[in-house]
Amino acid sequence: MIMKTREQFIQDLAPKKFNKIEKIWLWVLIVVIFAGFLAYVDQVRRGLEVTNLNDYVLWGIYISNFVFFIATSFVGAATVAILRLTNNSWRTPLVRSAEIISLAATIMAGITIVIDLGRPDRMLNTIIYARFQSPITWDIIIIPSYLIGVLFLLYYPLLPDFAILKKYYAKTQPKLSKWYGKLSLKWTGSAKQVRIQQNSIRIAAVLILPLGLILQTIDAWLFSSTYRIGWNSTNFGPYFFSGAFVTGVGALVVCIYWVRKMKGLEEYITDYHFDKLGKFLGLACLIYLYFNANEYLMPAYASTVEEEAHLDTLFTGHYSNLFWFVTIGGLVIPVILLFFQRFRKPLPLFLIGLLVVLGAWWKRYIIIVPTLLHPYLPIQGVPESWREYFPSIHEWLITASNLATGLFIFTILVRYLPTVSIQRSIDEYEAAQLELNKKS
Amino acid sequence: MQFRSVFILLLSFLLVSGVYGQGDKKERIRLNAAYVHVIDQEHYLNIKASARVNKETVEVADAELVISQELEDEEIELGTAKTNARGTCKFVIEDFGALQADEEGIYHITVSFNGNDDFKRGSKEVTFKAADISAELVTKDSVNYVNARLIDTRLDSAIAEVPLTVQVDRLFRPFKIEKDFFMTDEDGAVEVAIPDGIPGVDGKLQLEVVLNENDDYGTVKRILVAQIGKPIVDESTFDQRTMWSPRGKTPIFLLAVTYSFGFVVWGIFVYLFFNLIRIYKS
Repeated sequence: MIMKTREQFIQDLAPKKFNKIEKIWLWVLIVVIFAGFLAYVDQVRRGLEVTNLNDYVLWGIYISNFVFFIATSFVGAATVAILRLTNNSWRTPLVRSAEIISLAATIMAGITIVIDLGRPDRMLNTIIYARFQSPITWDIIIIPSYLIGVLFLLYYPLLPDFAILKKYYAKTQPKLSKWYGKLSLKWTGSAKQVRIQQNSIRIAAVLILPLGLILQTIDAWLFSSTYRIGWNSTNFGPYFFSGAFVTGVGALVVCIYWVRKMKGLEEYITDYHFDKLGKFLGLACLIYLYFNANEYLMPAYASTVEEEAHLDTLFTGHYSNLFWFVTIGGLVIPVILLFFQRFRKPLPLFLIGLLVVLGAWWKRYIIIVPTLLHPYLPIQGVPESWREYFPSIHEWLITASNLATGLFIFTILVRYLPTVSIQRSIDEYEAAQLELNKKS
Repeated sequence: MQFRSVFILLLSFLLVSGVYGQGDKKERIRLNAAYVHVIDQEHYLNIKASARVNKETVEVADAELVISQELEDEEIELGTAKTNARGTCKFVIEDFGALQADEEGIYHITVSFNGNDDFKRGSKEVTFKAADISAELVTKDSVNYVNARLIDTRLDSAIAEVPLTVQVDRLFRPFKIEKDFFMTDEDGAVEVAIPDGIPGVDGKLQLEVVLNENDDYGTVKRILVAQIGKPIVDESTFDQRTMWSPRGKTPIFLLAVTYSFGFVVWGIFVYLFFNLIRIYKS
């Protein structure tokens, strides 16, 4: 083992300025965000007529995006809380990125709902005219609650790191140091402070699990509480829950790889961590596959006329290419590949993660759109344009902008926050050294 | 040139006066009035005002009507009424005892309209004699019957061979028992069997024996409330707190769960925030 000093840890893990690739990346994000913003302004000005939403498909790409963000946000609860509570030490370099992803995704989920409403002032109506019987109201309650929970879970472990960074940047970047000082809340590492901090982290970790579970379940109930073919399923809660695991861990793999590469953290986020993450992702995909089998095979076996029409659309019809790409490309192939250790190495796992995330996004699309194309009540004389849906250029731009904003938040946060906990890494290293010394 | 100007001026005047002249043309109002007597309750007139405008019958709203009684040369005003948007109104004769019939026992009541900017004056006379229906509910061999008798009040004699309807009052239109009407016998009587199982609130049926729009007597109705119906079981959840109620009637358990969730979760948040302050101050 290479001997490391505290200063080396701080130097390695302290936030670094953007390199050239990151700057290009940031500008690309800004351009996409700006293009989406212009499209959104036009949507507010002209109304939802700029979209291809219609009387049949009234939830289109925006709600697909919302569900995707909600699913992604679950990574904070899943990895952070579970790994914290089960005291898995391999979590250390991963949890902060997971928390940042959760924060960015939850913020974006809230923003996406406002975009879908058309006129942003109508957001107030969801509060003024809230019915507690409606899952939409439950969503309005749970999303801010989850967001606050994630914030606490992110902030508490950062306190010692902020104190370290305050000292570290005191001479080189005094302004930044001042900010870190304010954010550190006068952290000295006293026994009392540590006790309060550890206690609070435990409470936040315990709380975030049910909050995450409720969030995913409510998201599922938004659909399953309607009598729609493809939605009205008792399986939907765990189906969404397991899907969120896949999306969240997939997103984590991709982001961790990027952070490791850009911040030069190869020593801290090692092949061992990727191997663990790969197993975690494989397990998540396997569980999700099981729920997919439940979701599609049972209706196919029972096969009512309406179910048959819906499943035909997915299995062999208009959405079959997308459906099989999502199922095979986004789940089956990753599960098979992740059985082999060589595919759990950083680069292959990154590519698999990308495939999983892409599949997860389209999965939300095929959960929402094909069902809406089968009307609940048959209507005569329906315009042909209602029978098909493909997002308009405005919808694509706004959606791309949404995703870019999520990534932008992540990029900015990893610029100013240490993505691997400095204090915890030092503590773990010192504990390992002590253990080693004892043995020798 | 001067002649042309004068001609145009005259023509314009004629056209303009013609337009106004058209507005001055008044339509004839048509009044209909029917006398109704609900025994032991009220006497009233159902009045309807209409007119033919552009070959179409239209209801005349807001027509102010005067109701009076004609007695030989004398005309006694009973009151006024105003038609509603559907051109109808109901005029209740408050003191029927004060009305006087002629030698033949016929009452003469006139509904008059004194004209306005749009309609000419018009009137309609309603004539009727006083009649009474007595009715009782009897049970024979477990079958309920309504026995009713129609008499001319002044002569105190039975009115034979006239149609009486026996019906149950309903929200939109009455439910007629067995057939449209029953002819009275020489005693002015009818006997009608009431079938079992007619639904009513708390099992109460409002039975009505009606002499309907008779030329001599108008409409005479006797109401009989009987506890012989099948009680209606109200399955409406309108007043209950259900998942499909408006937000003012949210189920208590749901309110409890949501508020408890709010208090617990946000209570913990407050505690965590308080802990940040404790860290700051220590």
